[in-house]
Amino acid sequence: MSSVVFSSWEGQVVDNRSGQHAASAASDIKVPLKYGDSDVAAFISWDGLVLADKKVSVVALVKAYIAEAAKLACGECSMGYRGLAVLADILGRICGGKGQPGDVDLLLDLAQNIQKNVKCDFCANAVIPLKDALRNYREAFEKATSGNEVIPNIDYIKKVTAPCQEACPIHQDVPGYLELVRNRRNTEALKLIRRTNCLPCVTGRTCVAFCEKNCVRGDIDAPLSIRALKRVPADMGIIQPQPFDKGAREDKVAIVGAGPAGLSAANYLARLGYQVQIFDEQPTSGGMTFAGIPSYRLPRNVLALEIEHITSLDILMHPDLRIRHVEDLQKRFKAVLVATGAHQSRDNGIDNWNADYDTLMEGVSFLRDISCGKAIAPKNQVLVVGGGNTAIDCARTAKRLGCKDVTIVYRRGRHEMPARDEEVKAAEEEGIKFQFLAVPTKIHSQNSRVVGAECIRMELGEPDASGRRKPVPMKNSEFTMSADMVLTAIGEVPDTSFLDGALELTSWNSVKADKNGVTVVPWLFAAGDCVSGPASVVEAMAAGKRAAESIHAYISNNKKLSSELALDGVLHDLSLSRRRRGPKLPSTKRLHPRELPPDERVQGFDEAEECFNVQVAAREAGRCLRCYRVMLIVKGQG
Amino acid sequence: MVKLTIDYKEIQVEDGATILDAAVKAGISIPTLCHNEELSPAGACRVCAVEVATDKGPITVASCNYPVADGMVVSTRSEMALKARKLALEMLLAQSPHSEKITKLALDAGLDAPRFSLKGDECVLCRLCVRTCQEVVGLNAITFIAQGLNRDNKEACVEWDADKCIACGSCAFICPTKAVTLCDNVDTRVIQTPNTKMEFKMKACTKCGAYYAPEKQLEYMAKTAKLPIEKFDLCMDCRD
Repeated sequence: MSSVVFSSWEGQVVDNRSGQHAASAASDIKVPLKYGDSDVAAFISWDGLVLADKKVSVVALVKAYIAEAAKLACGECSMGYRGLAVLADILGRICGGKGQPGDVDLLLDLAQNIQKNVKCDFCANAVIPLKDALRNYREAFEKATSGNEVIPNIDYIKKVTAPCQEACPIHQDVPGYLELVRNRRNTEALKLIRRTNCLPCVTGRTCVAFCEKNCVRGDIDAPLSIRALKRVPADMGIIQPQPFDKGAREDKVAIVGAGPAGLSAANYLARLGYQVQIFDEQPTSGGMTFAGIPSYRLPRNVLALEIEHITSLDILMHPDLRIRHVEDLQKRFKAVLVATGAHQSRDNGIDNWNADYDTLMEGVSFLRDISCGKAIAPKNQVLVVGGGNTAIDCARTAKRLGCKDVTIVYRRGRHEMPARDEEVKAAEEEGIKFQFLAVPTKIHSQNSRVVGAECIRMELGEPDASGRRKPVPMKNSEFTMSADMVLTAIGEVPDTSFLDGALELTSWNSVKADKNGVTVVPWLFAAGDCVSGPASVVEAMAAGKRAAESIHAYISNNKKLSSELALDGVLHDLSLSRRRRGPKLPSTKRLHPRELPPDERVQGFDEAEECFNVQVAAREAGRCLRCYRVMLIVKGQG
Repeated sequence: MVKLTIDYKEIQVEDGATILDAAVKAGISIPTLCHNEELSPAGACRVCAVEVATDKGPITVASCNYPVADGMVVSTRSEMALKARKLALEMLLAQSPHSEKITKLALDAGLDAPRFSLKGDECVLCRLCVRTCQEVVGLNAITFIAQGLNRDNKEACVEWDADKCIACGSCAFICPTKAVTLCDNVDTRVIQTPNTKMEFKMKACTKCGAYYAPEKQLEYMAKTAKLPIEKFDLCMDCRD
């Protein structure tokens, strides 16, 4: 889109049809300029329309857009559902050379009133570009209506997304499955979820839920309980596993690591028909979902069933097998995916840290030991160092073991904690203490037993690279905390020794790969925490899926950019906004799934959170505004 | 309690009430179609539109599911409210031109004929049947399928699950457009919906032989009442 002829994007009309302001336009308008290698000739979506090529017929563009939007209107209210159908009908007859006198005014009247009177946001947003077109290109519509000429259809690329869906790394159709949950059609909801999510029970319990952070409801009252709602159909699927189609290919792919990235990649590759084998050094699959997420958040049988569902696609598992040299795999496999995660603790910098003590442990090792069923005797005073989800998991696990006094020591403050807010609150409820703005510097021990840790107080200085204020030690502020166990959860780094230098590493030992998992070695791909450093389950799943696509492209020798990836570029330019132009809505209350009371939860490792029942889930899902955005892109010649 | 004004009349209602609840309490009539006081509101038909003043100017809302707020100023007969109602009825009338109920509501709103026509059956997707089945009958035999991407269905519709249905006929009774009908042909009850025709066996009275109720409904009644099925062997006339 070299220059913009007309734009009504975000309600800002830029009319350059006379050609006088040729230089100004494009840079000011936040719209996609490129689709893959092509220029964009026209673009129409929820926030207006943009034309770069005068030859594109606005009438045909709007007709195509309304017809596509009408296919997505849900039917919850007849105003929107029938309204868009009527608009599509009228536009269709105009383009068919059968327009009737008064059609333009009828369109405008209907568009204005449909926008004001629909139940939710989708149809209200859908008519915005139609209104913009009718107001600014009225003469084109009048001409089309009065003439008997047929206006030819235009070719376009369609994309449907939503703020929640865009925020989700695996781009699940969130409004879609919420709508099915609302209408108590959970079997179909699960089918829809499984299209993009191979671990619905895991994510339904533990997902960090980027979707909820980008939920438009959040600006009105509170975001929907999307994560907990997903669990409703997901848990029904445990009882009734659904088979899915499988193709057949000869090519073999090896995946090193049976965590969420590896499993997700395996799922897609197996469904494409590849012969997939997964190697993992641990006896139990799941990676961090097994070792790092305690069973009170994710029961082991649920995880096992979910993994079984994936491996039932004829995936060959090699548990308890550590790959020593990645090159060994090259001979037997067409492609190898490195998805080994980040399991090694960083150097904690604490003096007198004696790794031989079983009371001085890395948090991840502690969690893994518990997950593997190792007995750890309860302690009196446990210090957990760190402020992320692992620290919270360690503290809550220690509490469940029967440790009396558990304190999280974090160098920043409550607001800077990277842990999920609901996890922090749950920890507080369970009586876990917090020592903010402090960091242990030295372990005190007597007679080979840990008795305490010397700490230093911190204050927050200037923001660092992450945007959070950097903690700085305060002079002469040392103090001692008594403790008989200290766990560190200060972040993990990947163990990349088996690569034998085959791949370049970053300064913090992670594998260098692009976001599609492609490395400098053609047959070697990498995805998940071993590339990104410690991140979430859902991000690992997304990386695994993208790597699977890259592997498929590599093996099938298909260099073409998938339309999905080209659209990713478009959406990146667009920064999908949460801005609402829909009807005013009353405030509603977010429903939460029930939890065991804190004093009961800490008695053992039973799952703390219950699943919504179908009726309550339907009510909560009914709060969804269905913020689908339909966008059409018309490619230019270039 | 919440204080609000509807058509210049001051009203006090419980917190959490809808505008329609408040209007009914004050004796102000608002036309409705998909509303039924026994059922949760759906906000589907938009016939009950009213105007509400906001700091950004007046808006229209569906009074059946919009909660009252302190100091709210509502108008049920403003030009804006009437226009919204008329358009809502225009959509409904175009979909279901034979419905007496909709025709009457449209005439009351000053609408003779819609400016456009719509294809399809007479179902206006008000979901009275869905809600009655789920909330009154206590079954989930009727569900609404919204239109969307990657679905089995092409269009929004209401679907009956013949296995779950007990043939009670509540759906046909509540349907405002006769899109669902019920017909008893001696020993068979036929329920005709926009996309299915279902037949159910009727039970004959063990005393007089008259067919008096669907067998599945009697079984459901016996089960929910925890009574032996024999208790339902007689028709109403033959019972003591």
